[in-house]
Amino acid sequence: MQKYVNVSIDGAIIHAIKGTSVLDTAIEYGICIPHLCHVPFLSDIGACRLCIVEHVVNGRSKVTTSCTLQVEEGMVILTNTDKIRRLRRNLAELLVAQAPNSRAIQDLAVRCGVKEVRYPFRNADCVLCGRCVRVCTEIWKARAKGFVGRGKDRHVDYPFGIHPDFCKECGMCVQVCPMTIPPCNGPIKDGEEYLCGQCESQLLTNEDAPGSCVWCKLGEGFGCGRYVGSMR
Amino acid sequence: MLRLNSYRELEHLREQIQTRRSNITKTVVICGGTGCQVSNSQAVIDALREELAGHDGLDQTVRICVTGCHGFCEQGPVMVIQPDDIFYCHVTPDDAFEIVHQTIIHGKLIDRLLYTDPVTGEKARSESDISFYRKQDRQILSCNRGVDPCSIEDYIVSGGYSALVKVVNGMPAEEIIEEITASGLRGRGGGGFPTARKWVECREAGGDEKYIICNADEGDPGAYMDRCVLEGNPHLVLEGMLVGARAIGATKGYIYVRNEYPLAVKHAQIAVKQAHELGLLGDNILGSPFSFDVEIVRGGGAFVCGESTALMASIEGKVGEPRAKDVHTAIDGLYHKPTTLNNVETWANVPAIINKGSSWFASRGTSGSKGTKILALTGRIKNTGLVEVALGTTINDVVFGIGGGAVNGNAIKAVQTGGPSGGCLPVEKFDLEIDFDILSQAGSMIGSGGMVVMDEETCMVDVARYFLTFLQDESCGKCVPCRLGIDRMLEIITDITEGRGRMEQLDLLEELAETVVETALCGLGKTAPNPVISTLRYFRDEYEAHIREKRCPAGVCKSLITYWIDPNLCTGCGVCLHNCVHGAISGQKKEPHIIDVQLCQKCGICRSECKFDAVRII
Repeated sequence: MQKYVNVSIDGAIIHAIKGTSVLDTAIEYGICIPHLCHVPFLSDIGACRLCIVEHVVNGRSKVTTSCTLQVEEGMVILTNTDKIRRLRRNLAELLVAQAPNSRAIQDLAVRCGVKEVRYPFRNADCVLCGRCVRVCTEIWKARAKGFVGRGKDRHVDYPFGIHPDFCKECGMCVQVCPMTIPPCNGPIKDGEEYLCGQCESQLLTNEDAPGSCVWCKLGEGFGCGRYVGSMR
Repeated sequence: MLRLNSYRELEHLREQIQTRRSNITKTVVICGGTGCQVSNSQAVIDALREELAGHDGLDQTVRICVTGCHGFCEQGPVMVIQPDDIFYCHVTPDDAFEIVHQTIIHGKLIDRLLYTDPVTGEKARSESDISFYRKQDRQILSCNRGVDPCSIEDYIVSGGYSALVKVVNGMPAEEIIEEITASGLRGRGGGGFPTARKWVECREAGGDEKYIICNADEGDPGAYMDRCVLEGNPHLVLEGMLVGARAIGATKGYIYVRNEYPLAVKHAQIAVKQAHELGLLGDNILGSPFSFDVEIVRGGGAFVCGESTALMASIEGKVGEPRAKDVHTAIDGLYHKPTTLNNVETWANVPAIINKGSSWFASRGTSGSKGTKILALTGRIKNTGLVEVALGTTINDVVFGIGGGAVNGNAIKAVQTGGPSGGCLPVEKFDLEIDFDILSQAGSMIGSGGMVVMDEETCMVDVARYFLTFLQDESCGKCVPCRLGIDRMLEIITDITEGRGRMEQLDLLEELAETVVETALCGLGKTAPNPVISTLRYFRDEYEAHIREKRCPAGVCKSLITYWIDPNLCTGCGVCLHNCVHGAISGQKKEPHIIDVQLCQKCGICRSECKFDAVRII
């Protein structure tokens, strides 16, 4: 039998299933917490840090990722404070500066309030969210790819760099990759990187109530509560 | 050796060893720690053994004791001849003959081997006459001096394993934890988390199997206190772990030591084997129902594996990457079992607290930080090495009192404490007490205890760049703020040191640093921007000089400096011309030389070779 706990997310008391994460609970309830590395059917590793929330314990708040935080009775969570928005914007800015050539990342950046990118753009092909690695390891148990290297040398690769025969060539890694969908204006060439911002008009313009849905590509593909709801 | 089945048998063994050693009149203590081994102490030991063997009877009455680090590595190899406490430094194999004939047989001092105080120029006879040692409070390091790390007998004779006797012989677990709580012991690895609170949480966690871990994966540049403790006195660490295991109810322990510490690995392995043979480890320790075993795990030398969850992943055989710690490792740790992880030094403090009582331990230190702390004192000062001081000692006392002040008469500018996770404190803050809370309020931390002293020839922007480069290499790369944030911070700081900096980048740097502190996944990521934050806080003027005036005040950042020969001072001796590998210096003999700025690679050889100080940095 499922046990339920009551948690407060942004003031709303939510009757949540025990054992689920704060992120899943919030999304199901309709509170969008931006996220990148989280995929509903995979384990959470807390790599992208975009889903950070403030967890208030005894009057002191602690910034933590909601995907790795399990709901507990009486928990108080704030997902949209000034501090969280600022930190989240800085993280999204780092991501979009690293890999602007993805509609998912561009959408996320706009959704997180990035107005300008203060770092020189790089045109990386991978943001190391680990979605492909986890889908291969956890769903197919194939372990055909994994992380190699450390720090700035970290990358996703086949074992010893050779395409293994135990790869089932299912294509799931491509399916879950946020880098496969180009920005609205088409793929970006090296040296011509920009912040797209086309979906900015979908955001509420009121500074006090930011964080509206931009129907981001991540949500469309990977089971965002809103998309699921709109399909019904 | 026989297995000991009760504490009385341990007492009996201690008496036996004492009787066996009663005919020894002199003990030559030679440091065989890594520092002194580098200075060739093994050859000294061999020469001395050979020399003693050549004398009838001397090898029976004189004992050579090869110990772990004494702390004064700079003066190595160091030697202490007991019972007279004669201290010799910079000993060479050629001195062995003289040492045996003069000092050991006739009790005469050899003047040239004595330590000369760099300030007063006086010769010191024993350690207590040396200001480096006198101003310390050596509780853990002093144990290193009398104990051969490869001999459990030495440790037992010096009173070892009496805390173990106490805890298996009547002291209930609650009382052990009470004692540790009352002592106020805090984790020595960096965080300064109250040790007892960790133990209580782990003890109260459910589950039949619990683990304890000794973290000897020390990776900070310039820090080596864990190595010295594990290398010099592994049984002390084992005993601390045994006490902890008894208090927590753990049955299995791990010592995670990096493979770059071969001597520490070897000594720990020997210690575990010896303790096993005597029945001090294994099933039914000293005949009691308490069982505990220790396994040594060698780490591959990743800085991030010093973080508790990454370390546990590494023991489990997974990639050493941290994971989210929303549930403490005391509840969900190694193999998802309750686990207590403490630093080498923390474990080494435990036996003394049990033996001498919590009030003895708490008599040292400040209100929030009790006991002593080993610091690795390095940098631009006269005396470098390992020092142990009571917490609450001021930075001034350590840098000037023990360290003896700056070399070359330069002015000291700052001290960097706590390794890459710590920060830089300026000389105005040197009256601060070394205390977990005071230092972190000042924007630095004790960390594992590294202390790098910097003088006016050190550029603080360059220091921040150095630590960021280290952290960028050592970041595991799992989370965005640590991987990309540090990368971007390094990019900005490199821009500043190379003269491309803009003032608004300083604000960006601060904002980025805050983001990384708040959002990084693990403790190492959260503290990674500290070198940047603290240098920005105390040395903002240096950053501004780099950006506004395109000038490096310390003359370090190569892109912003030019070498120039002062024609009034140059005698035309030609030394710089001969030594310049780039052919950038020209000039006639006895005429002032000039440097071709186009060819100059700014290596600084001319400046260090010039005897007339004619080469300047502008």
